[in-house]
Amino acid sequence: MSKVTFYNHLVEMDSIIIELDKTDLSFTEKKHLITLAEKNLHNTILDAILSKLSDSDKRAFITKVTFEENERIWIFLNQKVDKAEEKIKKIIDDLKKELHEDIKEAHIIKKKK
Amino acid sequence: MNFTNQKPHFEHLKRKWKTKAEKAESNLWDKHGRHLKQLALGSLGGLMLLASPSQAVLHPINQQVSRDDALKNYDRSVLLADKLKNIVPGEARSLNPDEENQITKTLSSVFGFRVMAEIDDVRLNRNFGFIGGEQHLYRYPGDNVYAHTDTSSDWAMYGTAGIASGLGAWGYFAPSKESFKDKDKMREKYYLAIQTFLVPGFAENFARLRDFFKYRKMIVVNPHSGQAVVAEIGDVGPSEWTGKHLGGSPEVMEALGLATGPQKGEVLYFFIDDPEDEIQLGPVKTKVEL
Repeated sequence: MSKVTFYNHLVEMDSIIIELDKTDLSFTEKKHLITLAEKNLHNTILDAILSKLSDSDKRAFITKVTFEENERIWIFLNQKVDKAEEKIKKIIDDLKKELHEDIKEAHIIKKKK
Repeated sequence: MNFTNQKPHFEHLKRKWKTKAEKAESNLWDKHGRHLKQLALGSLGGLMLLASPSQAVLHPINQQVSRDDALKNYDRSVLLADKLKNIVPGEARSLNPDEENQITKTLSSVFGFRVMAEIDDVRLNRNFGFIGGEQHLYRYPGDNVYAHTDTSSDWAMYGTAGIASGLGAWGYFAPSKESFKDKDKMREKYYLAIQTFLVPGFAENFARLRDFFKYRKMIVVNPHSGQAVVAEIGDVGPSEWTGKHLGGSPEVMEALGLATGPQKGEVLYFFIDDPEDEIQLGPVKTKVEL
């Protein structure tokens, strides 16, 4: 990840980058795609967490994210969301699976060219 | 002339991932926009933080949402801060009667209760100054800091402030653990330390003023963020040499958005006229559209 987020330790984007490396893309193009993927991931994770919190907890969580209080976020999440880490990990894994599928399609398009 | 894309596989991925990223973003805002708007506190920096974890933001925030549009959707606290910006002095100092009048009128109208600089001929030495973070206070004999939080996340947020070695200005909040009620709990949770000793005529009217200030309800507003909290006077202080003009419990500081960093910041603080004791202690939001 380009920036330290509270879920950094759960994300490993290397496998995506390795696959992109095989598709004849420039550094800028790869960076562009990774940025999109990270943005997608970030918003999906926030949505999933916020959907499980009460209104007042949402506010507390957002404040912590805003001020990057990463340690406090986990103390808070573990208190408020059952198996928070496991759930976030699953979101990341599902999304990465999707991204790998997309890259496979891109490989096919490249071969057809 | 036919233009052929040199890298259709890149275009394919770009289009697909861009659509997904935009969908995830609009989904997030559709479902939680009301809460996310608070990130716009004073600037668009907070929005950017949430928009993407990447520093190489593809769509700069000023392309996603113009400042005017963003202002329309700002959290009410931010709108209050924007309104106060025009009537609150640029630096923490005593307010003149005009400023005091304008500010109390504004706060009364937006919060829906009477905010006053003076009640029963009593007024503080100032209403705009620096608040500093205080420790918890002993609430009843045998109380300890661990008993002040109900959950581990509360402890992480408020427990580390510790507990003051001495009692608050009015002694314990309850004479025993058995007689300790929710009301007492809230009083300690949202207490202020006020420099009552600097109030004009304090020494001459000690008994009357002591009774007047005991658990007197006040509103404290962070004029820079619009965050506000209703609290009661639970202690006296801080000393003049500290450079601070009032103190707030750990929960008060959190409600004002001043719990991190130096735990100090400029605030407005006024009495609330609440003879029937109807106004709840704790963070408070503006009641009307600004």
